[in-house]
Parts: sequence; structure tokens; C-alpha cells
Amino acid sequence: MGTNEIVEKIKSEANVEYERMISEAKENAKKKLEEARKEIELQKKRFIEAEERKGVEEKERMIRAARQHARKLKWMVEEEMIEKAFEEAVKRMKKVKRAGFKGDPYPNILAGLIKDGAQSIAAGGSEGAELELMLSEEDASYIDQPLLKRITDAIRTDKGVNLRLSLSGERIKSAGGVIVRRKDGKIEVSNTIEQRMARFSTGLREDIVKTLFGEK
Amino acid sequence: MVVEALKLIREVEEEGRKRLEEAKESAARILKAADEDIKGLTEKVREEEKRIAAEIGDRYSKEGEREAETIMKNAEAEAGKLKATAESNLESAVNLVLEKMLGLR
Repeated sequence: MGTNEIVEKIKSEANVEYERMISEAKENAKKKLEEARKEIELQKKRFIEAEERKGVEEKERMIRAARQHARKLKWMVEEEMIEKAFEEAVKRMKKVKRAGFKGDPYPNILAGLIKDGAQSIAAGGSEGAELELMLSEEDASYIDQPLLKRITDAIRTDKGVNLRLSLSGERIKSAGGVIVRRKDGKIEVSNTIEQRMARFSTGLREDIVKTLFGEK
Repeated sequence: MVVEALKLIREVEEEGRKRLEEAKESAARILKAADEDIKGLTEKVREEEKRIAAEIGDRYSKEGEREAETIMKNAEAEAGKLKATAESNLESAVNLVLEKMLGLR
């Protein structure tokens, strides 16, 4: 092999190697770019899916909040109207005292509350006990001896218990009703309107709701 | 003659080495350019993702607002009806409370 041939061979091999290296680099760069594109697209797809989920969750959160607010609104109307029924009932007491309730005069109603309180005390074994009645100034004016006798007679007939009732000199502040107390102060039953309301309001709510919101 | 031939061969070999060095440098530049392209592409996609996220958030937020508004309108209408029903039944409810308070029930 002559010198020129050797020279040409070296040049040719160097060129081939050059082209190979450049071609390989280009191929690698292309492959790298394609893989990166695929990965970026995949990440973008996942990102969009995650954002969609977040969006749906946010929308559902807004709807849940609105539904909760709607329930609260309904509850507020119920509470407002229940409260109104109680308030109106207390306001109505003046009329009840003046005109009675459902044909029953107030003294009869008051006698019923006294009898109920006295019987509760009697149920605890207070045969022959002396009970005193504490009322408001206004309600005390409805009490007289015949009324007290009528009540004690009724208790004797109904329960077979002898009690003595008298009007206490102590007056209470109340829209109506009575506090029945054993004279020794050991037992007391409050049948004032306010106490009865506090006692029965929870149990009465369901019936009030049915009455208020049930269609006529 | 032989000495000159060897010198020529060495020179050509040297050129060949330089050529290969150039090839290595070019290959490195090609790969670096690809990395730069990937970086640019990634940045572009991140910007696009921000825009898409804002669009998606806005779309669902508006849908949520619309549905919430409908729910509240219906609830207000229902509350109004409930109140009207309750007002018309108030007298009966007051009587119910009074019956219990007065010991008639």
C-alpha cells in the first residue's frame, strides 16, 4: 500500500467515524426529545385529570354547602314559627284569664293545675298533708274557699287522699298557674305557665311542627 | 522519502484525531440542544397547565355557583311556602301549646 493510499484510508476512516458520531448524536437527541415529549404529554394528561377531579370536588363542595344552607333555612323557619307559637301562647294568657279557653273559664283551669300539683305531692305519700298555694297577685284573686273545697273533694274522690289546701301569703311573678308546696317546705310542684312550658316544650315540639307545617 | 511519507501519515492521523474531537464536540452540542428543547417544551407545558388549571377551576366554580344558586332559590321559595303554611296554622299550634300549658291535654 502506497503512502497516498494510507493517507486516503486514514482520512476516509476519520470521516466515516465523524459521520457515525454525528448521526448517532442526532439519533440520540431525536429519541430523547420524543421520549421527553411523550412523558410531558402524559404528565399533562395526568395534570388535567387531577385538575378535573379538583374542579368536580370544588363544585360538589359548593353544592353541599348550598344544600346545608337550604336545610338551615328550613330549620330557621321551623324554629321561628315554633318560638312564635310559644310566645303567642304566653301572650294569649291575658285573654284566657278574661274569657277562658275553649269554653272553660280560667278559675276552672287554675283549679285543674292546683289539683294536678296537689295530686303529684299526694302521690309521694302525703296523706293529710297541708299544702299551700303560691300564685300571682292576679291569680290569687280567683281563689276562694269554695274553690279550694271543690279541689280537695275531687282529690279525695279520685285518689282517696285527704289534703288541706290554703292560699299562701307569698306571691309569685308569673303569667299564670300555681306553685303547690307542702307547708313544711319539703315538697314543691311548680305548675306555673313558665315552668310547664319549660317542662313540656321539648316533648311538644314534634306535635307543634306537625300542626304548623302539616297541610290543612 | 520514507521519512516524508511517515510525516505525512502522522499529519493526516493528527487531522483525523482533530476531526474526531470536532465530532465529539458537535455531538455534545446536538445533545445539549436537545436538552434545551426539552427544557423549553417543559416550561411551555407548565405555562399551558397553569392556564388549563385556571380554566377548569373557573368552569367548575361557575357550574357550582349556578347549581348552588338554584338550590338556594328553591330553598327560599320552599321556606316562604313553609312559613305561609305555618302562619295559617299558627292558631291551631297556639291552642295546642295552651292546652298543654293549662293542663287540658
